[in-house]
Amino acid sequence: MKRINALLACLLTIMLIAGCSGVNSDASGQSTNSKKLVLGTSADYPPYEFHKKINGTDEIVGFDIEIAKELAKDMGAELVIEDMKFDSLLLALNSGKIDIAMAAMNPTEERKKNVDFSTIYYTSDQAVLVRAEDKDKYKTMDDLIGKSIGAQKSTIYEDIARAVPNAKVDALSKMSDILLSLESKRVDALIVELPVAESYEKNRSTLAIADARPKSEDNGYAVAVKKGREDLVSQMNKTIDRLMSEDKVKKYVTDATKLAEEGDSNIWTILMQYKSTFLNGVWWTLLLSLVTVVFGFILGVILVLMRRSRIKLFKWLAIAYIEFLRGTPLMVQLFIIYFGLPSIGIEFPKFIAGAIALSLNSAAYLAEIFRAGIESVDKGQLEAARSLGMGQSMAMRYIILPQALKQVLPAIGNEFVVIIKESSIVSLIGITDIMFQEEVVRGSTYAGLPPLIIAAVLYFILTFTCSKLLGVAERRLKASD
Amino acid sequence: MIKVTGLHKHFGKLEILKGIDMNIEKGEVVVVIGPSGSGKSTFLRCLNLLEIPTKGTIQFEGNLITDKSHNINATREKMGMVFQQFNLFPHMTVIDNITLAPVKILKMDKASAVNIALDLLRQVGLEDKKNAYPSQLSGGQKQRIAIARALAMQPHVMLFDEPTSALDPEMVGEVLDVMKSLAAQGMTMIIVTHEMGFAREVGDRIVFMDGGNIVEEGDPQTVFSHPKHPRTQEFLSKVL
Repeated sequence: MKRINALLACLLTIMLIAGCSGVNSDASGQSTNSKKLVLGTSADYPPYEFHKKINGTDEIVGFDIEIAKELAKDMGAELVIEDMKFDSLLLALNSGKIDIAMAAMNPTEERKKNVDFSTIYYTSDQAVLVRAEDKDKYKTMDDLIGKSIGAQKSTIYEDIARAVPNAKVDALSKMSDILLSLESKRVDALIVELPVAESYEKNRSTLAIADARPKSEDNGYAVAVKKGREDLVSQMNKTIDRLMSEDKVKKYVTDATKLAEEGDSNIWTILMQYKSTFLNGVWWTLLLSLVTVVFGFILGVILVLMRRSRIKLFKWLAIAYIEFLRGTPLMVQLFIIYFGLPSIGIEFPKFIAGAIALSLNSAAYLAEIFRAGIESVDKGQLEAARSLGMGQSMAMRYIILPQALKQVLPAIGNEFVVIIKESSIVSLIGITDIMFQEEVVRGSTYAGLPPLIIAAVLYFILTFTCSKLLGVAERRLKASD
Repeated sequence: MIKVTGLHKHFGKLEILKGIDMNIEKGEVVVVIGPSGSGKSTFLRCLNLLEIPTKGTIQFEGNLITDKSHNINATREKMGMVFQQFNLFPHMTVIDNITLAPVKILKMDKASAVNIALDLLRQVGLEDKKNAYPSQLSGGQKQRIAIARALAMQPHVMLFDEPTSALDPEMVGEVLDVMKSLAAQGMTMIIVTHEMGFAREVGDRIVFMDGGNIVEEGDPQTVFSHPKHPRTQEFLSKVL
């Protein structure tokens, strides 16, 4: 009994911590009611928006952010920034998770079908970024014909790249990934914003801007708001007009480009400089994995009991659940819970959404592991228990499950390790786990490889410790063999 | 005490029991013998409904336990069972094996359950093994613990399903000794066994089964020395 109480207390604590932290880290929630302006952005696009260590704390800065600050100021609201993938921005707008989106976004006709835009606040040019030694190979856009070109996914740059005849286009979400693929020669050239290209050229001696210049028609940037929010649009336009007339916009661009012009790619410097960033990521990864393990375990036990139930309905429900959850990608499940459910009025803070998605998913796998364990217990054990007068559930609890668990402990341990690794997917919805922080560091240092190596080592430390601890637990349980 | 009427058991198309009738009186020791596949184990397992009879009725202490509305768990508490394969709980110590059911089912407090368990361990001569795990015991010791575990529920009848068949020959004696002393204390017992000497010595009544039927029954003297039925004669001539 004592042990069960302790377990319950432990559970409650975890839930409380998770609940509170989830709320804290997610200031958005329902966002339209008070003096908050929630900005959605994809902070991996210097100098427009990017992460930067300022006086030891990680901040999202950039040219778009400076404008957003002015927008909030004119509204008398507090600016709250939500960092997410560029692809997720419009989804987040329409599900009400953010009020406005600014991420060097072109108001294309296609996007206008889904969201409304302010007037254009900045018009820019694009450049072709190549490896320094290749600079002379690309004098005109025709030199790109048949080459492989990198560009940020779902941006105007991808469209420009795709318009090049016979070009192989490699479209990725994160600028840092795209940069890495140029440096590692997986692509020959990148199409990026001119000021962005300039900042990369300045930072990395290996990169250079080619003479070739893309021609683009839709090269103005605007603020996106949820469809029908005309009040917000006119508010935005007023501020944009003011900034234009004061000629502030150009100043913001140069300031932001300067701010982006630092960086050190030595792995130890990066580790030391961003130690707290990475540690924060470890904390969230650990917390998320722990919550997932506990709830996945409980749900997994419930599922396997349903799966083995004599009541046909329970049995088929459990089978359907297990098969479906194992047969669809975790990423789709995560997006359904975080981006999909709000459209039918069910909204979770991102940590809770991440924990739910991971728990639901791992429960399906654990249920199958438990089933294998239960079936491995000799049927004489159940007969002995029943012959003493135990009911089905009592026999299950005291006789079958303890032996089944012991049988499948290595498989469960393996599943825990999988949970730690798979949890990295929640960085997609902006939970600040190891992978998220790695991307932050990569985005603000321009260093391609070192942050990835640090992240890999951190994950390895976690998974290796986990399997060692489980090994100890296994040996303890073997005491009765 | 137990009244079996017209008991049939089918496994799919296979008919294992073809209509068994039997009365067992309080304090009686009934030994069931017969060749492999004769249905004697199935018959025993039907008595506490580990196998659900296809047809027929079983009454225990006046209750019709084959009735669907009957709570079989309550009846099983009063029918101890000992298995060929011991079926001790491998993840528990000897003392926990014995006290689990009294504590969880009879809601006995742990201290009195332990006292009863220690008494029983003394009876089976294994008091020093109370903190051992089943894997540390020999087959004979396991089976004696299994008997103690069943007795801890203070059953009114004990069912033994070939309790010595999985034992090395030198360990058979220690288990049979425990069963003999149990019989001497007046316990009602139904025993399926191949130990003919033991059957003859301890049994009040011998039941010979073959092909899903009771072929012959009677006191040991009559059945062993003057079997009437040719099948019984043939079987006994092979095993004695």
